[in-house]
Amino acid sequence: MVHAAKLGHPTVTRPEGSRSHARVLLAATVMMMLGQAPAWAADTTLVVAAATFPDSLQTGISTFTSTSLLMQTYDPLVARTNKGDYVPALAESWEPAGDSAWRFHLRRGVKFHDGSGFTAEDVKFTLDRIINPQTAYGFAGRISQVSGVRIIDPYTVEVDTKGTFPILPKAVADMPMESKRRYETEGANVARRHPVGTGPFVYGKWIAGDRYELTANKSYWGGAPKVDRLLIRQVPEAATRVASLLSGEAQIVEELPIDVLGQVEASKVATVASIPTTVGLVLTFDPRKPPFDNPKVREALDLAVDKDLILKEILKSKGEVLDGQLLTRATFGHDASLKSRPYDPKRAKTLLQEAKFDFKTPITITTQSGKYVSDVDICNAVAGMFGEIGLNASVNVVEGGVFLKQWNAREMGPLYMVGWYSLGDADFATVWYTEAGKRTTWVNPEYEKLFAEARATNDTALRAKDYGRMMQILHDETPSIFLFGLPSLYGVSSKVSGFEAASDKILRLKDVAVK
Amino acid sequence: MLNYIARRLIYIPLSLLLVLCAAFVVLRATGNPIDIFLDPNHTPEQADVLTARLHLDQPILVQFVIYLRDVLRGDFGDSLQFGGPAMPAVLDRLGATLELLAAALGVALVLGIFGGIACAVWRDRTPDFLISTIAIAAQSMPSFWLGILLIQIFAVDLRWLPTSGRGDGWHLILPAATLAAFVLPNFVLITRTSMLEVMGEPFVVTGKAKGLSAAKLLFTHVFPNALNPILSFLGIQVGRLVAGSIVTETIFSWPGIGRLLIGSIFQRDVPIVLAGVVVVSLFIILANLIVDLLLSINDPRIRLG
Repeated sequence: MVHAAKLGHPTVTRPEGSRSHARVLLAATVMMMLGQAPAWAADTTLVVAAATFPDSLQTGISTFTSTSLLMQTYDPLVARTNKGDYVPALAESWEPAGDSAWRFHLRRGVKFHDGSGFTAEDVKFTLDRIINPQTAYGFAGRISQVSGVRIIDPYTVEVDTKGTFPILPKAVADMPMESKRRYETEGANVARRHPVGTGPFVYGKWIAGDRYELTANKSYWGGAPKVDRLLIRQVPEAATRVASLLSGEAQIVEELPIDVLGQVEASKVATVASIPTTVGLVLTFDPRKPPFDNPKVREALDLAVDKDLILKEILKSKGEVLDGQLLTRATFGHDASLKSRPYDPKRAKTLLQEAKFDFKTPITITTQSGKYVSDVDICNAVAGMFGEIGLNASVNVVEGGVFLKQWNAREMGPLYMVGWYSLGDADFATVWYTEAGKRTTWVNPEYEKLFAEARATNDTALRAKDYGRMMQILHDETPSIFLFGLPSLYGVSSKVSGFEAASDKILRLKDVAVK
Repeated sequence: MLNYIARRLIYIPLSLLLVLCAAFVVLRATGNPIDIFLDPNHTPEQADVLTARLHLDQPILVQFVIYLRDVLRGDFGDSLQFGGPAMPAVLDRLGATLELLAAALGVALVLGIFGGIACAVWRDRTPDFLISTIAIAAQSMPSFWLGILLIQIFAVDLRWLPTSGRGDGWHLILPAATLAAFVLPNFVLITRTSMLEVMGEPFVVTGKAKGLSAAKLLFTHVFPNALNPILSFLGIQVGRLVAGSIVTETIFSWPGIGRLLIGSIFQRDVPIVLAGVVVVSLFIILANLIVDLLLSINDPRIRLG
């Protein structure tokens, strides 16, 4: 059957006259009489403009942009929702099997796009491949405690862990389950270029740096997608992405720049969809070096930042001010009793004077540009607020590779900007303030102890208590100025229904319909 | 002539070697692929595997020698991001860039030369004033600004053309126009100057005195003599165009080599960057060689041998 709508050729829908309606009706009637379903009547294409693309569709690139594309054709064992909850996907249920293993019960009757059945063999193959260091799988570190996978029966697997590993079901949520058969019959090179998964969409065509074309998997176990075709285009320039939304070429636009929110809302052809992410944006001190080794100095600088004002003026009230702690509100382990320190420049100045702080001390804020929403603008605003109480602050924008090099050497200067994502569980974010994270210059023995305890128990109440105390320590010690939970922003055409902004920036398009 | 071409060809590997060396050292000195490419959560074993694969435990000069040895065997290494060999990944994107460059250069050359000739013929009169003003205005417009302006007018407001992406010929118009605007003004101005210079030569006065028609004088006597500075300039502009194409490709999501290179530099995907640098350098070197040959054909006084 020939499909009328050609992928990749943006069409602008114009109101049709009654005559053409009549023609369409006539054609439909004729075709139905001939026993054919009119292709064009059902053939809907959803076009998404993505800001960044991974350079290939191979699994194991640990970026959300890569995961976002992979999850169109694949499913994980446990899926995350747009809001950040964890729900059954290829595993229908799971439970701890003793102290150092998890048992997953797999969904039955699930088929890969090539028609072969999904079984425990595929789970074992995928997880074994991930933990093999030769694979260089980006997310391998998330499940580094996994020691092996045992097949109990075709629909049950047990994953052995070194010690108790409470977050395993959440940790596998970004790991697509691949087909063992495909790797064995076609080889890794083909499997990497042409994904065959169990997901809601089927691979059509991939052009690096340009476009990813897919078709609906009509027999998807979770229900068929509401569109027939999906086209994800890479449009790196933000202004061009907005233009493609307003001109009707794209229906969903990722990473909407914050300064055009008003323009999009006013256009009447599109709206803004937003949700707080789990990324906590912070400014981290180097407490090894005076005067920043003094917690009072760090507290004073925290007091000098008017976070509410920055949220309102720069982030246009999207996202949230962090509650004086690393974790965003929706994250497991967030301590609701803590609040952000209220803006108080007078007290900040008094504290600094009490600490005999030399106001000429250069305070360089190191940041990357374009890594996080409005990163440089926020740093400039903070430097300005420091300047208002007489501090000598400046912003140093560095390129990503240089940033990482300095970071790895743990020489970031007095303050640097970073965003830590938690994906809904405190473990993923809190690790960065422990020695195990290999990033922190602030070390606290009690914090280390609590982290280790919370990572090694399946007792949810105990974990929540530990993380709460850890948040308290971070708040009191102020190794970082805790700024914002960053927003995830999308532009959505009014022709689209069923789309939700995702807190983890993974596109979930199965229930999206195009009018 | 053949002798000359052979000598020029000998210099190519030398130029490439220098370019490669510079790119290699800068990339390695400013960032370690282990930190950048691997997830911050990477396991020590993963770091060891990548270290061994890229010989990162060796001094940088040894790394470079190993790399050169592999290149001489025709192996540019495997891309870190793609997983596959680097050179085919670069060549895959070359077509899109060549298409864009050819369109932009064609437009810039034709319009630039005719615009320049018009300026020279009607020197200090309305056409000269208009064209020169537009050229100077266009030259001072940054590419990204012009590109976004064109998208706003032709794609969002008028809806005549697509905003971005590569597809049929319609997709090529805006990016080619933006890139052409980057070099076109220079062609106008150089053609104008060059033509005016020749128009003042005694042989032109002789031609006029002989009673040659204005058009014949212009196109068979003045223009060929004015062509060489324009051609030399063309050689320089090819390099500028390639640099300019990076911005244009980004604005218009054109899947070309410029965007691939920028992305790979940020990722410190050294194999891709070096393969790309070789391709781009070769392109510029060959373009300049062709320009030199054209120069000697147009003006036999230029002795290449």
